[in-house]
Amino acid sequence: MSVFMDLNLSFTADKKLLQSVVETAAHLGFSTVAINYVFEPTAKKKQDIPSPTPINELIDQLPVVQGRSRPIRVLNRLTIVMSDSSHFRPNAAEYRCFDLLAVQPTTDKLFHAVDRGVVFEVSYSAAIRDSTMRRYTIANAVSLMDTCKGKNVILSSAAEKPLELRGPYDITNLGLLFGLSDGDAKEAVSSTCRSVVLHAETRRTASGIISTMRSCSESSCQQEAPPAAADSEAPAAKRAKHQLPDD
Amino acid sequence: MSPADKKDKPADYQRVVLKNASPYHYMKVCLVLEDESTRLSAVDLKQFIISGLKSLYGEVGAALTFDLLKYDEDTLTAFLRVNSRGLVKLWSSLTLLGSYQNQACAFRVLQVSPFLLALTGNSRELQLD
Repeated sequence: MSVFMDLNLSFTADKKLLQSVVETAAHLGFSTVAINYVFEPTAKKKQDIPSPTPINELIDQLPVVQGRSRPIRVLNRLTIVMSDSSHFRPNAAEYRCFDLLAVQPTTDKLFHAVDRGVVFEVSYSAAIRDSTMRRYTIANAVSLMDTCKGKNVILSSAAEKPLELRGPYDITNLGLLFGLSDGDAKEAVSSTCRSVVLHAETRRTASGIISTMRSCSESSCQQEAPPAAADSEAPAAKRAKHQLPDD
Repeated sequence: MSPADKKDKPADYQRVVLKNASPYHYMKVCLVLEDESTRLSAVDLKQFIISGLKSLYGEVGAALTFDLLKYDEDTLTAFLRVNSRGLVKLWSSLTLLGSYQNQACAFRVLQVSPFLLALTGNSRELQLD
């Protein structure tokens, strides 16, 4: 059974709306979703990066995914709209509370700067809302698939309402429309998304092997998780194969 | 042949592999509307789907023949039949249809199969009591 993920659900301050979007996603069969906070830094003054509301404050009870027995997993994601790559420091402390990081480039030069093996995302809900955006979405998606040869692409909604979500097989079919092959289109909704999430976890760890957690004991000192025995463990091999930094 | 001979001879099995066996694909779809009390007739629904095909694929798309085999007006659930060649077009135009008479809508595709019999059972709605 493959795991389907939708890694772009727009954040709204309306709790009920957000809860209904997550419930619809669980009903449609998505095992994991990510709530997207968009941040646009202006050059004038330094703004604070929004901190994500904890999941248990947003949604009371996580709905169970249709066809499985587990509840849906909700992650936090930050999208930074920028035109200049000098602003971006991937290890800043404010980014630690977000599970996924994304960059929305507004200029060409940023595209070249981030050319090293990232995963590209195509959002389809604009195509549902407006017919002019539909043409642009399809045109851009087709040219993206040409450039990247159909690998390292994910398809997601940027849904603001539950009626803008579509089921995972529907999105797989849309992938065929964008020029992906059958296998690539399904991967774009399942295994590529999963590798994005796994890789994002390694951002917090040192080469994907050791992670530190603050322990809540009385001594309140940092405690290290048991390190792996040798460097040739599975996580290092996974990094060599997949090459997906910084999404 | 005597019964003893028949038993000694190993049974003949023949394996038949069919590719693209069925000329049609069948879809079970459900229309979800923002205003849940809206009702559509079968003709309205077919016209709506044709308008979706036309807006995405133009006149050539609108010429794609599909049939509305069964329609339940209360739950807005329909069975569609389309040529296998036209499945991707019909499915993608159903996916990208966003509004019906100025209200938001979504087509939920429940089942797709080349065989109509497969649409009678749905393991997603299985209730184990």
